[in-house]
Amino acid sequence: MLAARDLTKHYGAVRALDGFTLDVAAGEVVGLIGHNGAGKTTFAEVVTGLIRPDRGSVTVGGIDVTRRPRVARAQIGYAPQEFGLYPAVTVRQNLTLFGRLYGLRRRALAAAIDEAAIDLMLDDVLDRPVGVLSGGQKRRAQAATALLHRPALLLLDEPTAGADPVTRSALLAAVRTRAAAGAAVVYTTHYLPELDELDATIAVAAGGRVIARGDRASLLSGLPSRATVGYPDGTSTRLSGADPIAALVDVLMSGPAPSAIDLHRPSLDDLYLTLAGAGHDR
Amino acid sequence: MIADRSVALIRHNFAVMAAEPGPIVSRIVMPLVLITLTRPLYAAAFGSAAGSAQAVSGMLVMFSLMAMSVVGLSILTERLWHTADRLRAAPISPLEMFAGKATPILAVLVTQQIVVLAYGRVAFGLRYTSPVLLGGTVLIWGVMLLAVGTAVGTMARSGGALSAMVDIGSLSITGLGGAFVPLALLPGWARALAPASPGYWAMRAMNGALTGAAGPTLQAWLVIAAVAVLATLIAGVRLRHGWGRQAV
Repeated sequence: MLAARDLTKHYGAVRALDGFTLDVAAGEVVGLIGHNGAGKTTFAEVVTGLIRPDRGSVTVGGIDVTRRPRVARAQIGYAPQEFGLYPAVTVRQNLTLFGRLYGLRRRALAAAIDEAAIDLMLDDVLDRPVGVLSGGQKRRAQAATALLHRPALLLLDEPTAGADPVTRSALLAAVRTRAAAGAAVVYTTHYLPELDELDATIAVAAGGRVIARGDRASLLSGLPSRATVGYPDGTSTRLSGADPIAALVDVLMSGPAPSAIDLHRPSLDDLYLTLAGAGHDR
Repeated sequence: MIADRSVALIRHNFAVMAAEPGPIVSRIVMPLVLITLTRPLYAAAFGSAAGSAQAVSGMLVMFSLMAMSVVGLSILTERLWHTADRLRAAPISPLEMFAGKATPILAVLVTQQIVVLAYGRVAFGLRYTSPVLLGGTVLIWGVMLLAVGTAVGTMARSGGALSAMVDIGSLSITGLGGAFVPLALLPGWARALAPASPGYWAMRAMNGALTGAAGPTLQAWLVIAAVAVLATLIAGVRLRHGWGRQAV
């Protein structure tokens, strides 16, 4: 559904994208993670046509974003990191505008607004001005503008930043539903447990490119586990490496009886810190 | 579909204006108050008919210039609210976006002038000899205000900066154009500078339209149109390069 190839974008001497390549299939949720400045937001802005890449190509559903931007944009639902809603008018008026811009009319528009309002728990605030909503409600309203027209590609740039658990739960459920219906999703976040909840594949961005891509298990398999063995006298031994379990068995068989064992399996946080950290240092 | 998207934006922008009508209402009511208060002064100086004409056309020019704040604010807030990027990321062409944004603002600018002119007719019996010239003047002056206001909106970095630019700019243009103090009473240096002010040409067009003098009115239209084109070019350059992005 989304094919981005070798995207490069400079801002003066700053290289925001440096050969950024990413493919996302229909129905797939990709968690795009990386440090601030890794190129995640620039990538989203290139895909939506907000900025033109210096080099490379992006297609959405086979349509070139730079050559046929309006046709490509019609297939994209984009929720940027910053709030982009009209605060003076109501949630319903905001949704009506974005729905109409994406081709929804009358009954279809009303039904889409109702559905998005229920999915994102906005039904109680539909007729309130956006300016008086809480941060979480604004987050959900912004996401609703992206989901409304059932896009083939969803680009969600840190949609849960600063959100409360209720908002986070509603957003994740809505994303899962849309992915199950066949939408390709690029989900940028710093809250890595969300990617487990979304059963997302992972793309790690650093230095303006994707430096690791795959499913969670394959990416984590290359990371070492750790085990810490504590003893009654207050000392401890830390075991790490490709097979810390085997090392732990050896310690248990040969040494004194431990008072505590802490086994740490590699997590997405470890992957993020290892890969993105390495890329950040480059 | 093209018309649909523009219509959607037009309706939305009217809704945004209706949600916060204060600036528009004040720009429409204030000239009526000042016309009422200053007309006796002008009438005493120039006679009843000429005094009414000066009061109405002068206040119309002054407060329509001040209404550029409404134009500029509607542009600036799209950036401050980050909605400009949301619109640009939607499947809408620049032309559709322009139509959707400009139409409601132009309607406000034209409505403001019509209300002032209607007040002059009803309250002071002002006669408009050539409705065609007057209508053309209202429209072309409105288009120029739209263009200049847009250019200002793309240059201002904040609401405060916009207010300062519009207040200083509009009062300078008003003053130099002879809209507040009649041209004949301005000092010599100001009279020499007056043709550099779009307000001067607006007053000329208004007076020509009031008396049915086509020649001076058409000449003024040309100057006003040239200012509109220049402002549109500036706004276009700012929109393309000044907001930190390169549009596809």
